[in-house]
Parts: sequence; structure tokens; C-alpha cells
Amino acid sequence: MATDFGSSVQRVSTGSTVLRRLLIGTLLLGALTVLVTIVAASVGPFSVPFTHTATTLLDLIGIGESTAKPTEQAIIQSIRLPRIFLAFIVGAALGISGGIMQGLFRNSMADPGIIGVSSGGATGAVIAIATGASTVSTFFLPLFAFIGSAVSMAVVFLIASVGGRFSMTTLLLGGIAVSSFLGAITTATIILTDDLNVQRQIIFWIAGGFDTARWESVQIVAPIIVVGALITIFAARDLNLLLIGEDEARALGVRVTLVRNTLLISASLITGAAVAYSGIIAFVGLVVPHVVRLIVGADHRVLLPLSALGGGLFLLVADTAARIVLSPAELRVGVLTALIGAPFFIYLLVHSRARLI
Amino acid sequence: MLAANGMLEDSAVLRVEGLSTKLDGKSIVDSVSFSVNRGEVVGVVGANGSGKTTLMRTVAGLLTANSGEIVIDGTSFGHASGGASRQERSRKVAYMPQLAVSHPFTAFESVLMGRYPHLGRFELEGSGDRDLAWQAMERTSTVEFANRKLDTLSGGERQRVVLARVLVQQADVLLMDEPTASLDLRHQILTMDLVREEVRDRNAAVVVILHDLSLAARFCDRLVVLDGGKKLAEGTPWEVLTPSNLRAAFGVEGLVEPDPVTGKPHVLLLGSDNSSKEDLVGTGRTVHLICGAGSGRELMHQLRVAGYDVTVGVLGIGDSDREAAERLGLNYVAAPPFASITDEQHEAHLELVKAADHVVLCAMAVGLNNVRNVVAATAASNLIMIEPLERVGDLELDVATGVPDFTDGIADELRRGMIEKFGEIPESTLLFELARSRGEDL
Repeated sequence: MATDFGSSVQRVSTGSTVLRRLLIGTLLLGALTVLVTIVAASVGPFSVPFTHTATTLLDLIGIGESTAKPTEQAIIQSIRLPRIFLAFIVGAALGISGGIMQGLFRNSMADPGIIGVSSGGATGAVIAIATGASTVSTFFLPLFAFIGSAVSMAVVFLIASVGGRFSMTTLLLGGIAVSSFLGAITTATIILTDDLNVQRQIIFWIAGGFDTARWESVQIVAPIIVVGALITIFAARDLNLLLIGEDEARALGVRVTLVRNTLLISASLITGAAVAYSGIIAFVGLVVPHVVRLIVGADHRVLLPLSALGGGLFLLVADTAARIVLSPAELRVGVLTALIGAPFFIYLLVHSRARLI
Repeated sequence: MLAANGMLEDSAVLRVEGLSTKLDGKSIVDSVSFSVNRGEVVGVVGANGSGKTTLMRTVAGLLTANSGEIVIDGTSFGHASGGASRQERSRKVAYMPQLAVSHPFTAFESVLMGRYPHLGRFELEGSGDRDLAWQAMERTSTVEFANRKLDTLSGGERQRVVLARVLVQQADVLLMDEPTASLDLRHQILTMDLVREEVRDRNAAVVVILHDLSLAARFCDRLVVLDGGKKLAEGTPWEVLTPSNLRAAFGVEGLVEPDPVTGKPHVLLLGSDNSSKEDLVGTGRTVHLICGAGSGRELMHQLRVAGYDVTVGVLGIGDSDREAAERLGLNYVAAPPFASITDEQHEAHLELVKAADHVVLCAMAVGLNNVRNVVAATAASNLIMIEPLERVGDLELDVATGVPDFTDGIADELRRGMIEKFGEIPESTLLFELARSRGEDL
């Protein structure tokens, strides 16, 4: 005889299982991504018919023959596709690390740059531009930016570990302090430099964009982000447990410190890699995990992969819009994400009424 | 398991041996040992800051012990909380924290997380796991908010969801830190019933921290009392919940009565020695106690907490009642050890007896040296006699003192006469009796 508290409510449906939610979400976002890719590869100052683009893309993965003209194929393959790939993968990186940071900090304000990674990257980029290093080799700008991200992350980590006891609150505050400090350096450099071209480059970089995207950039940044994303997705279950409480997580068998540090470092590194090639892109890492959470719930086994896909899709759409709204001129994508993202986010806040996290 | 077979003589599923834990260099738990058998519920009680939660967190592997050993189901976990053993440990030990953290998962999702220790890294919860989660939610009556996010639930609802998760973990040992803290009265009982049921049906073992001592006495097989990080007492509720342990561990005066329903000890909190003395039932009234060899010690404390002025009859130096009277600063008549009461002392005693509103004669051992204490009692017009704890033959004396009537029946005869006139009451009802007579006076 089991003690019954007296309620005999029917088992309500708790929605679909993890796997089903993941599959449906992936199929939906995947299909949308394919559609947007075709549009993105077709539109621009030099317009390509959708059918030509579709057959070219199919040709590239070994199905059928491209019906596009050689110039169209060249533009799609060497100019538009790398940009599409880069935008998608950077968006994926920002979406996934935003989801991780919001989980780790139990805070809806958390974004991928919360522990100083973005401002570190900006400072690295500013140094590369101001010293002229960026003109020596095209690899130097992203390299400097990545080093800047890694160094600022390491500094914030050290601050949070002082006294032998790691504190998430100190990590957060340290991140804010380091970000402000680095932001001041960046601003000072812009103000103090006499070279208008340098100023312009810095401002351009900070506003974020993919106009310099080439296959070489994709080849470097994609592996870092893919590996980082896989690591974090492997730890998604442990992140769930961390959210219900550190003690609870430990009691349920999670190696809390290991998991937390792995997640913090990989989320920061993929953000660093993304920032290095895209500059600072606002709002993707903040908004995308929110929206995904509203739709599929907080289970990170679903939330993180779908935030990656959603972030990629969102940034791809934003970048395509940035290319065409002022065509033939370009709007910086970082400007556009905030322009679209912020009102959309406010709409959600007002209408959902749900506590987001 | 081979190692477990080697430990067959050890019936305890959890054994804690000389466990000490320091936090920030301060000793919080100090060489505490206890063990819990399968099918047993052990309660941990003690004042705030007595180390209960730290002890439990150490046993759960959330804090590292500075010394000592924790043996769970034959496996020693010592101070090391290595990663390899973490999942293994989480299958054996479930931990229910004091406060349920708010988080964005639904109640059902969070209950299902209790299955994680039983799943491989990339294994998803199967229908068996989901069934277990549903069952646990039915048992804790949390089904109705299965789809609601935890941060929309009340504290008590949240606590029941956490309880369901702990049940779903199906561990051998359940460590529960105040599982009833946020619950209403009915859910307190239902929760503890559920815990007992879990212990019975799955042969699990439970260690539970409870603040409500009567609830602890009702549901626990044994109690461990902590005081300042050390184990003050351990045993059955009747052995452990004594007025002196209540005083030592909690700094309160309490009466321990059999619960009219369960027969288990029921603790009636009287108050603390520090509480305000105004407007109590005993304010402005004097009770004179005639006692000796510890027979009046508890009453002195209880009467004082109820606001009475207490005077005490002739007490020999070295008598434990005298020490108590001295410590409490009571007015009493003193005599040299083992000497017979002199005329002078007897006169002084009679003064106190006459001045008191009530005179209480305790069930003390009487010898020729203190027989005049009983004589003094006969002078009282308003006498209350305390019944001996146990009766030996027709000698109505407290056998616990080991000293029966040494007065060739003089004291016994005096007592009989007074019993006929005034009757006898059990010690634990004295305060009720006094309060009732006060009520009649008003």
C-alpha cells in the first residue's frame, strides 16, 4: 500500500521526449537554413536566379549538374558561400555559448561575452589595427583578437580563483570590471589616434561583419567552433543538473568543478574564435537561447543544439539583410542584429510574461 | 560484489566513524560517529549551528571531511571524494537539501533528473525512468503541477517535487535535510509516512534532520543529538529526548510526555531560561520543593521557566539537587553532608513551607538524616505529592535512587497519611496542576 497524498490527477502530458524535440527542431531549423542559404547565395548587387543557385548548391554536394553560368557559380562559390558559412557558424557559436553562460550563471542577462571575452577580442583587434600588424598578414587581425579573448578570459578566471575558492559571482563581477577596463583602452585608442583610416577600421571591426569572409577563414574558425560546440553539447546533461543546484548536482554524481570549468572555457574559446573573425556581434547570444528556451524548454540537451542552429540561422538572415537593405552599400551586421534583436526581445519580454530563466 | 560480501557481518548500510569537518578553519563537526541499518530511520536533531547540515553534507560527499571515515554499503569513502566514485556514490546515496533552488525546469523534468545516476552519459531517459518519475509524483501529489516550472511553485510544492526526485534516485541511503521545513501539517505527516514506507518497501536507510522533535520522535527509530558539532546523545527517542538533553542541546525547558496517539515521546516546549518572566502563570507565586538526590532537579528548572519563585527544603552539601538549586540561585536551606537535620534547619524549613503558595513533596529516598523533610511536608496546607517513577513492593519510593526507606517505615507511614489526604500526581503533570489551580483562583 502506497501512501497517496490524496490527489488522483491524471498524468498530464509532459510534451515530447528529448529526442523528439531535438529531431523536430533540427529538421525545422535545418530546412529553414537551407532555404535562407539559397536566398542568401542568390541576392546581392549581382543577382543570381534561385534555380541556378539551388542547382549549384546541389552540384557542390554531388547531386546533378549546376545550371548556373560560370560567373554566377564563381560568385556563389568563392564569395557568397564562405560568407554564409562563416555567418552561420559564428551565429551558432554565439547561440550555444550564450545558452551555456545563461545556464552557468543562472542569469538571463548572461551573454557569451560575459566574462570579458568580447572586449578582450576587441582590444586584441585594436592592437593589431593600431600597430599596423593587421596590414602585415590577414591572419594577424583574427589572431590578435583571439589572443585578446583568451588573455582576458584567463585574467577573469584568475580573479575569480583568488584565495583558492572559485566564485561565480566574482567571475561575473571580474568579467564586468575587465570588460570596462578593456573598453576604455579601445575607446582611448580610437580617440588618440590621428589616422582616420585606423579609426574607421576599428569602428568597423567593433561593429562586426563578414565582409572579409573567405574559405580560409572558415577553415580556421570552423574546426575550433565545431569541437567546442561538441564538447559543450556532451556536457549538456551535467549543465541541467548544475541548474537545479550545485549540491544537488554533486549528489547526483556530477563532477561540478570539472564540468563548470570545461563549459566556461569552451564557451569562451568558441566565442573568442567567433569574435576574432566577425568582430563584436550583439544580441545573438542573448536573444537566441531565450527564444529557444521559450519554445522547447530548459533542457540543455535540446536547448544547446537548437540554440546553435537558431543562432546560425539568425545571423545568416541578419547578414543577408545587412548586405541587401542598403545595397550596394552594406550595413554592419552587428548593427543590424541589435536593431532587429532588441525590439524583438522587448516584444517577447512584454508578451510572453513567462519568467525566462 | 566481493567487497560487500566480506562485510556481511556489518549490517549497517551507512557507518560514520570519527567524522570531523572544518569550514574556513573552524571545526563544525567534531569526531561524530554513528551508523544506520537498512530499514531504519535515524533522526539528527540539534540547535541551529550544531553542525547537522554540515554533517549531512559531508556524508553526502558535498564537503570533504578533515578526518574520519564514511562507509556506505561496505565501500569506504574516507576524505577523498574522487570523481570515479562519484556516480557510484550517487546511486547509493541521495541527498535532499534544505532549500530547493529555483530553476527553469518543469517539475516533471526536475523529478526525472533523479534518474541521471542510473543512465550512461549519452543515454536518454527511457519509459521505465518516466514511469518511475510519474509514480514518485503521484506519491508526493505533485502530478497536478508536473508541467509547471519550478519557479512558479510555492515553497512547499517545490519541496515535494524535490522529495519526488530523491525517491526516483532509488538510493540505498537517503539523506534529508529538513524535508518538512516548508510543509503544512498534513504534508509533514504524509511526507514522513512516505519516508517510512520507502524504508520498509525498499529496505532503504534514512538519515533525516528535523527541527520538530515530536515529529522526529514519531518517525525515527533512533535519534542523534548534536551540540556544538559533537554528538551529545544517541538512542531511541525515549532515551534521547529527556529534559536534561533538551536543556543541554537546545537551551530550553521541555516536558516529555507520551503522545496520546503514537505513545512516542511528545515534547512540550516550556520556554527558555532567558525568556521574559513577565506574565507567566507562575509570576508572583512561590512553590516550595522538598526533594533530594536529584528528585527535584528537573522540577526546579521547569518551575523557574514557568515564572514561579522556587524555594527548596533542606538539602545536604554534595546533593545534586543542592547543586542545581545553587546554580539556579534559589532560596534553600543547606545542611552538612549526611548529617541529620538540626532543629534550627527544620525551623527554617518550616518557614519556607508556610510562606509558599504550593508545597511539592518529591518521590525521594528517605533516610534518618532527612526524615524531617517529610515531617516538614505535613505542615503544608497546600501539598502536592509526586508519584515515584516505579513502585517497589509497597514501598512507595523512587527505586532509581537505589535507596529505599531507611527509616523503619516512619517516612512511609507519613507519606501514606499524606497520600490519603492529598493524592499523588506524576512529575510531568505538576506544571499543569499548578496552572489549573491558578486558573481556578482567577
